[in-house]
Amino acid sequence: MKVLNPKAIYTIAKKEFMDNIRNKWIILLTLIFVILIIVFSYLAGGQSGEGDVFGGLQNTVFGLVGISSLLIPLIAIILGFSTISGEAESGALYVILSYPVKRVEVLIGKLLGLGSVIIFSIFLGFGLGGIIIMASYGAEAWGGYLSFIVLSIFLGFIYLSLSICISSFCKKRVTSIGGGILIFFWGLIYGSIVLGILFGSGYSFEDFQTGNVPDWFFNSVVFSPGDAHQTAVQIAFGVRNIEAMGFSIEIPEFLSMEMLLIVHFIWFIIPLILAYFFFKRRDL
Amino acid sequence: MNTKTIMCPQCKTKFTIQGNSGEKIQVVCPSCGVKGVFTFSIDQTKSTITHDSYAVEINDLTKKFKDLVAVNNLSLNVKKGEIFGLLGPNGAGKSTTIKSILGLIHTNSGEIKINGFDIIKKGIEARASVGYLPERVAFYDNLTPLQTMNFLSELWGVDKSVSKPLIKEVGLEGAMNRKVGTFSKGMVQLLGVAQVMIGNPPVYILDEPMGGLDARWVKIIREKIKILNKQGATILFSSHILSEVENLCHRVAIINKGKLIAEDTVANLNKYLQIKPRLEISIPGLNGEVPDIIKNIEGVEIANAKNDTLFITCESYAKSKIIAILQNSGMTIDNIKTLEPSLEDAFVKLIERDA
Repeated sequence: MKVLNPKAIYTIAKKEFMDNIRNKWIILLTLIFVILIIVFSYLAGGQSGEGDVFGGLQNTVFGLVGISSLLIPLIAIILGFSTISGEAESGALYVILSYPVKRVEVLIGKLLGLGSVIIFSIFLGFGLGGIIIMASYGAEAWGGYLSFIVLSIFLGFIYLSLSICISSFCKKRVTSIGGGILIFFWGLIYGSIVLGILFGSGYSFEDFQTGNVPDWFFNSVVFSPGDAHQTAVQIAFGVRNIEAMGFSIEIPEFLSMEMLLIVHFIWFIIPLILAYFFFKRRDL
Repeated sequence: MNTKTIMCPQCKTKFTIQGNSGEKIQVVCPSCGVKGVFTFSIDQTKSTITHDSYAVEINDLTKKFKDLVAVNNLSLNVKKGEIFGLLGPNGAGKSTTIKSILGLIHTNSGEIKINGFDIIKKGIEARASVGYLPERVAFYDNLTPLQTMNFLSELWGVDKSVSKPLIKEVGLEGAMNRKVGTFSKGMVQLLGVAQVMIGNPPVYILDEPMGGLDARWVKIIREKIKILNKQGATILFSSHILSEVENLCHRVAIINKGKLIAEDTVANLNKYLQIKPRLEISIPGLNGEVPDIIKNIEGVEIANAKNDTLFITCESYAKSKIIAILQNSGMTIDNIKTLEPSLEDAFVKLIERDA
């Protein structure tokens, strides 16, 4: 393959980014992230029982990550699910692809443009929120918080890659909505399957509640990007055991930060490669 | 067969000779009678065919959609500098052919070149030499024409300063800052024509450029095609309406069911299709009888009458003669209708003849 034309990639990326500035999505997203952080910090502060209004960065994030690991994928899916199928259906893609540009350039441009929207809103939203917390509570665990921001962006890119893959594959906007819903609920679907296997292999519900589960059950998070993300966020704050209902469960050695980053990267790159092949082979 | 102008070494007279490439022929000077031998070169003639004469070359193009063969072994050449009409009824494979030329769809077999560049092997170069107007052209509803053209010209690789002049050229300057989403179909089509001209390509491929537009827009687009052609561009456009191409195209190809039926000049095609107008003349008091004087007029093929209406199928040139003769014989003509046969009718004829 010959070299790519950075000008074409930049032009596509700029268009996607500017679209989200024009329709003010980017402002809405940033606000959502700021508000989320503040609300969860407030909740974390109330729990401490020491009279603080806001909770610390770590507790805030641990409360927030359950929501953000759903919200960020949702945003990424909304940004990307129709970026190719929708334009193919409306007809705008016909003009674009008749120009002296490569399809791969269009694909990368879209990923980078929509990715910038995610980077911008998460960085600004979580960044501002973080500064407010640090100003009122203190800057403890700020390194973990910074990792949380980076991991959140990474999660956004994973789901962007997945949704662009869906968009390249689906002929119509409607079918790609279906695909988007499928990947959004994948964590839930997959979780149920794994739980089914756990109970099927002789473990009881009590075992599950008390954390008496085999390592493979933990390690299976690698097949669910949202769960892998949550685990990585915990490890980023240096916490390797989960405290719940009076029990403490240790995260297995296998799930190191390096391992989870590799898992993240695989979840990002495989759909992107598939998207490239789907898009390349696509008939308009 | 190649033609070559040579000069007699004896008397310096210039004259032309003909022969196949690679052929060695005996030459006799027409003015002084000196004999000689001339060999036609092989490579040179071949390369001129692929690079210099054709703007678009299609060789043995086949495209299947599952079981449906949309284009079947189609070969076509569009010469540089001509306006070429691709005609066919709806579903004949026109759009599929055009999309294949641009590389928007993947063909099952065949070779396609634009301006000498293979669309698969040299896709960027090929697409850099063509401006394409899709059948249902669409842009981004949330952008203004200026934002759209700025984006597109940047994507093409030219400076965005070309945007405003091009928008003005198609007459959309009044809507420069309106959202494209609020545009009428004709206005979107005009913006489509504006984007086609980005980068000043030597070849234009327009898919049904006048489809579904009212007369005013059609006229603007026809004029634009003529102007572009005068400036030296090659234009290939498709249509399913014969009258759209008649006075515009130098050459026409007719396709049906994915197959090439005919490829010729419009004049030759009319002859080939035997497209003849049908006259409907209302004459009070005719009472279902065909006047004898009609039968003797040259160019009249079929004449019959029903009540007070006379139906005549004739050559185009005979129309005025028929009216004049009828009037001279003292008949009153109430109304005249000319029915031009549709392309679809001509197709039915052609297919029936082929079968």
